[in-house]
Amino acid sequence: MSQSWTVDSGEGDASAVVHKGRRGAQKISHQSRAGMSVGAQTGNKSRVATQVRVADAVVVTHEDIDRAQDRARVRAARMAHGLRAKAWLLWLLIGPGILVMLGENDGPSMLSYAATGATYGLGFFLPFVVLTFAMALVVQEMTVRLGAATHRGHAELIFERFGPFWGWFSMIDLGIGNFLTLITEFIAVRAGLGFFGVSPWAAILLALVVLYSALLSHRYWTWERLTLAAAAFNLIFIPVALMTHPPWSAVAHSFATWQPVPALNKNMVLIVLSDIGATVTPWMLFFQQSATVDKGMTIKDIHFGRFDTALGAALAAAAALGAIVVTAPLAEHISAGNFEAAQFAQALEPVIGHAGAALFALGMVEAGVVASITISISSAYAFGEVARKPHSLNLPVGEGKAFYAVLGLCSAAAGIVLIPGLPLVFVVLVVNVVAVLAMPPALVFLYLLVNDREIMGGVESPRWANVLAGTVVALLTAAGVLYGVSVVAPQALAWLGGR
Amino acid sequence: MSERREFSDADAGFVLSTLEPDQLAEAMRVAVPRRKLRGGELALLWALRVYVVFMMAVVFWQAWMAAR
Repeated sequence: MSQSWTVDSGEGDASAVVHKGRRGAQKISHQSRAGMSVGAQTGNKSRVATQVRVADAVVVTHEDIDRAQDRARVRAARMAHGLRAKAWLLWLLIGPGILVMLGENDGPSMLSYAATGATYGLGFFLPFVVLTFAMALVVQEMTVRLGAATHRGHAELIFERFGPFWGWFSMIDLGIGNFLTLITEFIAVRAGLGFFGVSPWAAILLALVVLYSALLSHRYWTWERLTLAAAAFNLIFIPVALMTHPPWSAVAHSFATWQPVPALNKNMVLIVLSDIGATVTPWMLFFQQSATVDKGMTIKDIHFGRFDTALGAALAAAAALGAIVVTAPLAEHISAGNFEAAQFAQALEPVIGHAGAALFALGMVEAGVVASITISISSAYAFGEVARKPHSLNLPVGEGKAFYAVLGLCSAAAGIVLIPGLPLVFVVLVVNVVAVLAMPPALVFLYLLVNDREIMGGVESPRWANVLAGTVVALLTAAGVLYGVSVVAPQALAWLGGR
Repeated sequence: MSERREFSDADAGFVLSTLEPDQLAEAMRVAVPRRKLRGGELALLWALRVYVVFMMAVVFWQAWMAAR
């Protein structure tokens, strides 16, 4: 005989009936205050995405308990008064935004920024990189709203709302991009540790140990805080840049005038694409939305999610600018096109000394390690959502075998780095370009979802946000077309004012 | 080995009083209803799909030429 009672739901508007079933699993049926079959409501706008019939039963899982513990702390902090309570609430709610932005300051991104500084010095690319982070902020803010409103990951929303045909296209784009990017993360780790004389095998082994250690807690909160701590090391590029005693007047001139603008040619277009791909990529959409859901964020938390994302963008932009500034003294002295991280560090030794070069190399290692964690997690979330398998960092291994198996498969990318003779440097250069090319369709899906009144519960995009999103899509598509022209018909760049 | 543990009634009550109902793992398994894409949306998605396929071919052609 089942035992049942009604409990007022603290953060939702619905009440629920719990039936104690056999073997300890709790079966819960939902009942809205209106007595109808809706799982959650916001004002008068019911979300069809979350409808659960009264008769349906829901099992309380380990994942639910862990998430509820996190949310209970948020609720307590929200009810408390004072500045300290607000700061504590902010601390509880930040995470996915900072992680996604610092995670995207990954191996190929930092190499791209380093190549930018070493090729063109200060000038056009300083404000340009800030612009790319502004684009990333516009895009990622939409994933916060989407995750908080629907409690669904990006992959499952595309599959379920638009069907498997379009869903698989998105997954193929994500899969190719993630696999190539993961290779480059391990290249960055190998190259960075190579500066200290660590063998490639030992470097990759170390990266994998860190990757799996971060997952051992089986707790989203612990994983997030550990990864945030590791990601903070990305800011090492700022003090390293200061060690070069940057010419501040030239830096200010760059931001004020965007000058000098480099000649439009094939290399410049590649750097432009590479720097855009260093800040906006498909995995970021999938990661932040799923992490927002896994963290348990709700519509009430959206403005904290915005702050989190803006703070992450600001920190990541500062680190990116640091990488450009630090290599700017190398401009016109080296050919940076085929440089790996260790070679940049070696070339920087005369400028910032051995200690500075060592910090630069360690920064590259951090960039690779943190991104390998976040990108692997984004792959596992997406797979779980599409395969309808449990997918949460709150899952014990026994309940999330498929989720953790995908994370294991991601380490296969590490093995590729160890194959001798592969053109790894070229993979590094191409991976950001692939990311830019795959972004426009991903952004159109995001645009459609975030304007979908049936699932957004009243937090659809305002008109200005749609205009910004449309501008980002147009800019990314134009950049991709420019890249295509530079490869297929480089002479055509002359018509556009190039040399 | 299954790691599923037994939860107390207090656990269940705690979960229900803390999470929104649609945040429960089981509730998330309920599929979101399909929505029909309009003509303009389909045309845009197809145009971008052609763009991606063409541009990827350009990237791999460039990679092939560089490798040679």
